[in-house]
Amino acid sequence: MKHWWADTLFKRLFVLMWVALVVSHLIAFLAVRSFVAPAGAGMQGGMLPPVLGSLPPGTPVPGVGPVGPGGPPGDRPAFAKESPPGDVEELLASDAPPWPAAGGMPAGALWLDYGVRLIVIGLAAWLGARWLSAPMRRLSAASQALGQSLGEAQAAPAATAPLDEHRGTLEVRQTAQVFNAMAARLAEQFKAQGLLMAAISHDLRTPLARLRLRLEPMNSQAPAQAHPQAAACIGDLREMDALIGSVLDLVRDQQTPAAPQRVDLLALVQALADDLGDQGQAVRVQGEPAVVSAHPAALGRVLSNLVGNALRHAGSAEITVATRHGQAHLCVDDRGPGIPPGQLDAVFKPFYRLQASGTAGSTGSGLGLHIARDLLVRQGGQLTLANRPGGGLRAEVVLPLG
Amino acid sequence: MAHALLVDDDPELRTLLAGYLRGYGMQVTTVADGAALRATLQATAPETAFDVLLLDVMLPDASGLDLCRWVRETSNMPVIMLTAQGDPASRIIGLELGADDYLPKPFEPRELVARIHAVLRRTGSAQPRFGPRSGAAPSRPASAPEPADAVRRFNGWSFDRLRHTLVSPAQVVVALSNAEFRLLSAFVDHPQRVLSRERLLELSRAPGVEVTDRSIDLAVSRLRQKLGDAPRDGSREASREGSRERGLIRTVRGEGYLFDVEMS
Repeated sequence: MKHWWADTLFKRLFVLMWVALVVSHLIAFLAVRSFVAPAGAGMQGGMLPPVLGSLPPGTPVPGVGPVGPGGPPGDRPAFAKESPPGDVEELLASDAPPWPAAGGMPAGALWLDYGVRLIVIGLAAWLGARWLSAPMRRLSAASQALGQSLGEAQAAPAATAPLDEHRGTLEVRQTAQVFNAMAARLAEQFKAQGLLMAAISHDLRTPLARLRLRLEPMNSQAPAQAHPQAAACIGDLREMDALIGSVLDLVRDQQTPAAPQRVDLLALVQALADDLGDQGQAVRVQGEPAVVSAHPAALGRVLSNLVGNALRHAGSAEITVATRHGQAHLCVDDRGPGIPPGQLDAVFKPFYRLQASGTAGSTGSGLGLHIARDLLVRQGGQLTLANRPGGGLRAEVVLPLG
Repeated sequence: MAHALLVDDDPELRTLLAGYLRGYGMQVTTVADGAALRATLQATAPETAFDVLLLDVMLPDASGLDLCRWVRETSNMPVIMLTAQGDPASRIIGLELGADDYLPKPFEPRELVARIHAVLRRTGSAQPRFGPRSGAAPSRPASAPEPADAVRRFNGWSFDRLRHTLVSPAQVVVALSNAEFRLLSAFVDHPQRVLSRERLLELSRAPGVEVTDRSIDLAVSRLRQKLGDAPRDGSREASREGSRERGLIRTVRGEGYLFDVEMS
């Protein structure tokens, strides 16, 4: 019994339609009656029951003959009685109003009737649709807010319950409860992921720091005392640390969408090349100034990754900056071994490493290109790799001009 | 002899690091957590004060960042944060809270020694560092930026030393190389003053980097190009003309360079 009285969407819709139709009929009837009936001489419609008098025009009843369009079925008995078939054309041709007084409604009254019903039903439908779709709109707004708040990391975790659980129909309240529970779980999981990553980084890097300190006595500055394996061990340590860093970067990038800024691309490339030049690396830069819309730190990481790849595989890199068609094109070219054509796409997969890579030792984590492309796509850019005609690889970055 | 206070929750790391630093002639006291740090500092008499605090960011009972803020409020002791997180954001937060340096784990042991020496050199290790801040508290030298003046503005440019960014009057981020960054840092600290190459060499020195007269000249010319050639009003020619008229870095013949700006 309780369920029967519950405020459900079903009942709201049912009541809305029912009330709208009845009210439209009533108002139309009253309007016709008050404005037209006094003028219409001897109109019998006034005496008819209200619902009959204002029913919509129906299809002709079989057997009644060619009835003029729009004759209210409620009036049909009187109409059929007083204007037999054959008289209709005559009536239409004459100046007299069609369906004169005898039980039918004059054209004016009919149009008033239709008009009033059209307006009332239209109004009711508009109000009702807004009323019924409001919870939907609230839900979609809450979903959007949830997506954003999850994207903006743990700065303000689930600050507010997204939906009001005590408003609206039963279905809406149930949806709100389910949605809120889901939002809370999602926020929890995002937080847990961040905590997990922090824990991994802490728990791995502390032993790495210990290991590094233990190795130090063997890595003495006097070459005679240095253990031959110590330097190699330190290299391994650095590689492990870099891998942890890449994984953490990947997680962080997925959680914090940074607002783009206007960045001087040529200055960024030059700064990178100058820093590498100070470390004795051969990086050449040429091109025209270009201001792009990007996140400077993320873009810097992408470029240093690409240039680092070139230096690792070819020993030198050449960077070109150009603008074409409202976009900045940046190419990092090398003369290294390139990438077999079949694997040009595969190298973007996480943890993918080229097989039979000629270079020994540190080959990176296999995450660099994946992260680089991910970061660029987030900023509205692209990253493509191609083998160069004379040998070597070209990595091309395309970014929107700022 | 420098006296360092090391806070880390890992007992083995404490032992190893203390042993390593003692090898460099430092006296090291170790504690395990935030509560012990507070107790130790409050029980320390000024004459036996510590010269430097090595602070782990993740501690079981407190955040290293909170402790750093607390230490900064009560003393002038230099702080070097050691952290396993090592992301740019936490580095910036640490420096904004007043840490003097920030080193991600696992660090090169020699790098830590070099940073400790650099911090001690900057702050001058002679005076005691801990104790209630009085009116006569030693002022921090300009080379260790206080959080408040981390962002410096001149002629429409803004230079954020924590984030290593330079933003042009047209709101374009102009990246600087490390050498350019150190040079501009030195200029910003000494505006309207002629700086000789020797002085610039000294000011832009960094651990593990060799700086020569020639590299100073090169960095100056690159920095000039970035300050003058950065696209301002879309017209490159116009801005180049403008920078020639009133250059930000002027060469003073036979003496050195002058950073000719109004700091605001």
